[in-house]
Amino acid sequence: MDLNTVLSKTPDAAYRVYDGLATIVLPSRSEVNVLNPVASLVWDAIDGRRTLAEILESVLRDYEVPREEATRDLLEFVNALRAQGMVN
Amino acid sequence: MTMTGLRTSSIEPFMAPAHAPATGDFVPGEEWFAARRASFGPVSLDIGVGPLRFRLDGMSATQADALAARYRPFVEGLPPGAPVDLTLHLGPAGVPEFLRLPPGGSETYRMERRSGPGLRDVWSYEFAARLSLRRREADLALVAESGHLFDRGLENYLRALTASLILDRGGLLVHSAAVVHGGRGYLFFGPSGSGKTTVTLLSPRHTILSDDLAMVLPAHQGFVVAGIPFGMAHHHVPDSKESFPLAGLFRLIQSNRVAREPLRGGRALAELSSCLPFVMQETVEARQALANAGCVLDAVKAWRLLFRKDDAFWQVIEEA
Repeated sequence: MDLNTVLSKTPDAAYRVYDGLATIVLPSRSEVNVLNPVASLVWDAIDGRRTLAEILESVLRDYEVPREEATRDLLEFVNALRAQGMVN
Repeated sequence: MTMTGLRTSSIEPFMAPAHAPATGDFVPGEEWFAARRASFGPVSLDIGVGPLRFRLDGMSATQADALAARYRPFVEGLPPGAPVDLTLHLGPAGVPEFLRLPPGGSETYRMERRSGPGLRDVWSYEFAARLSLRRREADLALVAESGHLFDRGLENYLRALTASLILDRGGLLVHSAAVVHGGRGYLFFGPSGSGKTTVTLLSPRHTILSDDLAMVLPAHQGFVVAGIPFGMAHHHVPDSKESFPLAGLFRLIQSNRVAREPLRGGRALAELSSCLPFVMQETVEARQALANAGCVLDAVKAWRLLFRKDDAFWQVIEEA
């Protein structure tokens, strides 16, 4: 996976961003996941249209963090989402 | 900055992740559900569950009398002619069990489900049911005509139906104890073993609405909490069927000290959502449940309640 990747939320996921934090329910796994604020921003931006590069720019607009660090964290996070079956 | 570290918790209670049938499970298929089945008898009984009204049909007089006596507060005084939300046709299953307990006899309560166009099939150890969403009717097959298998099968299906139907009313069925204090309802939620029954036992002079499952409903102002006929452990029935203004939500945490800590935002939503049984196995219902839970949290404060086994927690709560 690289910054040109376009991801979609899995259709099975039910979620709600509440007070800046995303709560995600995966019915097939009987799990409730809650994301931290920056991860919630990324989750909310995953829409099947935007590339990870575009989402990265959103993160950099909202958080003062070196681009290299943000890129590394973003890729690590979306890989975790994919491993858990939360994105395709 | 880090985005990793997903905080995950399991949905409690009653629900194990969907999995392949265990050895010995009887999985009712289309033919089984489509077969015409006898009823237990010709008697019916209406039960009010908050704003919902269930009609239990196809019972023997003995069954109906027993249920009418047990659920008396929820059977008497129903408004005549009020529409029935769902009619359940009860009958014998003709099989000794659907799901089989593993050797050792213990596992997280399993309830399997399958959805088709306008139909929702559910089965567990003691029952199998097919709900027709269009007809607002369900065929409920029970493995026993009396005793704990009959009681448990009927009540668990009614719990699942209540949890599902109440979503359309903007409400929630919460795995919680609900206690009336000063004319207001306090909801203590948490997974099995968190102390829900303990809280009720430590409140002997209070009206107990539930020690296991309570209903939260939107009201003219804010939300109210009410007990349900099958919201108590061991088939007890709540002290009252009335609803009370919901004063606070308290996530129970056993401790050697007594304190309350604010539970806000997404963390509150995640904690509350983890205690919504039956409705998190299906995406559409889970979305509605999350939306309803968000509305509840918009209107009612939530806390983590650290408590020990005495009634000192009420002093802390009164400060809320």
